[in-house]
Amino acid sequence: MPRAEESEANNKKSGTTAPVIPHPGESAQQGKAGRPFWSGSITIGLVNVPVRLHTMVRDLSVSFRLLHKADGQPLRYDRVCTKDDRVIPWADTVKGYEVRKGEYLIFEPEELKAIMPESNRKIRIEKFVFYLALDPVYFETSYILTPDRSEEAYSLLVTALQDLGRAAIGTITLRTKEYPVVVHVYGGGLVLTTLRYADEVTLPQAFETLNDLPAPKEAELTLAKRIITDLSGDFSMTDCHDRYREAVMNLIGKKLAGEKVVYVEPHPEEAKELMQALKETLSTLSAK
Amino acid sequence: MPMAESEGTGSKEMLFSDLTRVRFTNLDKIMYPSVYVTKKEVIMYYIRMAPRMLPFLSERAVTMHRFPGGIGREDFYEKDAPRGTPEFVNIFTHYSETADREVNFVVCNNLDTLIWLANLASLEIHITLSKTGSYEYPDLLLFDIDPEPPLGFDDVIDVSFIVREHLENAGMLAYVKTSGKKGLHIVVPLHASQRFVEVREFAHRIGKDIAKDTPHVVSEFPRSRDPGTIFIDYLQNAQGKTMAAPYSLRGTPPATVSMPLRWDELKRGVRAEDFNIKTVISEKEEPWRGIFDNKQKIGK
Repeated sequence: MPRAEESEANNKKSGTTAPVIPHPGESAQQGKAGRPFWSGSITIGLVNVPVRLHTMVRDLSVSFRLLHKADGQPLRYDRVCTKDDRVIPWADTVKGYEVRKGEYLIFEPEELKAIMPESNRKIRIEKFVFYLALDPVYFETSYILTPDRSEEAYSLLVTALQDLGRAAIGTITLRTKEYPVVVHVYGGGLVLTTLRYADEVTLPQAFETLNDLPAPKEAELTLAKRIITDLSGDFSMTDCHDRYREAVMNLIGKKLAGEKVVYVEPHPEEAKELMQALKETLSTLSAK
Repeated sequence: MPMAESEGTGSKEMLFSDLTRVRFTNLDKIMYPSVYVTKKEVIMYYIRMAPRMLPFLSERAVTMHRFPGGIGREDFYEKDAPRGTPEFVNIFTHYSETADREVNFVVCNNLDTLIWLANLASLEIHITLSKTGSYEYPDLLLFDIDPEPPLGFDDVIDVSFIVREHLENAGMLAYVKTSGKKGLHIVVPLHASQRFVEVREFAHRIGKDIAKDTPHVVSEFPRSRDPGTIFIDYLQNAQGKTMAAPYSLRGTPPATVSMPLRWDELKRGVRAEDFNIKTVISEKEEPWRGIFDNKQKIGK
């Protein structure tokens, strides 16, 4: 899955003590227009359309931080050598590819860097296909493309693709990986969806039983079709809720209202000066 | 907030909770990038300045000007006590005309509240000109004097002495502080016996008198942005309007302070930047000390 190239996309707010009280109904809200994390251009032959890339999909699952039970302080993960249990700093690490159990081929960073695809800030379009002919099984993650002071060219592309019912197939390089992508019209704009490679997907034919299914009997098929027809209806994604997430959010809200909250204590040396200042000010104030 | 988290931490010799109920967060966050001042230093500043500041803050509605990511990033004014406001913070609930609803103002009556504001990255702390108990009756009269380029701070200093003279002629003692930005604040302590409208009209009259005889000085808001003018702003003398509290930090790159001054140290050549988070902390003098022992009534 491609990740935001510049991590400013995770705009974590800090510098405030007010606890973030979650809204249990938040999942029903639509996502808001966010800042772009990549900018470049769609290249079709000699034509360039400058665009910005925004996240379209967000993960709303609740994450917990692991704390030390005794004092409520957050835990940190360390790299520990399996042989002598020592903590190894990043500088002393190297990447290895496991060839056989317990046997590693060692790679220097330069070696891997040399074969990394170059990020050329381009979404290179190779061909146009009928959007409906694309197989959604290969769709991975969708992003929104917005014009980068290129409204006219962008609009031209939207309208032309829309009228022809076509989508553009091409490639993008995000960070260190090159992805095949499809760019199509959705909700009045262009959406870029990264595609999985064919060898990343297992097809049902891989399962023996599926190649050898018995033909259904006529009467049973009629009955089955009738049941399906009876249960047919319209479907809206907003009907789906993550019930577990909602329950967790409710619990967080309840806990915040009454239960104990533990805070990260500043490091003793960091706090020392503040404590000294506090002591002095408190004595000045009480003398007044 | 006697929290139960002290269990298991008995090995530490001294806990923050013995000294303050505030829980500090992100102490090493850079608040002023160009002078490399962290939030810890901001909190330190307010702890050190508390004995001088609290007399001006107590019993007044506070407006926070918060810079969660430090200056140069997103900032906002906040009048309402935010969610999660601890119980040691006093609240004053009052209808706000600008917001058209009841607002729960923070009142900074104690050291913990001041530290809590600092921890919220409310670098600037603004106060009303009246106390919560007599909200419609100001106990501070404010002239906010700002220059428009090409005029500058020296010109504001000149004008502030004229304002002082006019107030003296009306039998009133005036105090001065830098705004920490472009101009100066001239303040007169009052008995809180007259309404804002009277005080405002008085201030407006002084401004008009000065504008009449002094080149570049304007007394009316529509002209306040004209290039090469100095505006004597009387409009802040209204219910709910605020000024930067004495010794409040400002959201400027050099971390300036709204600094109370003696009139005789206010000379051409003095600059707002002279008074910043680093210099003010070692300043021992309190030019506004006893200001509330000199409460006055506006004259003719």
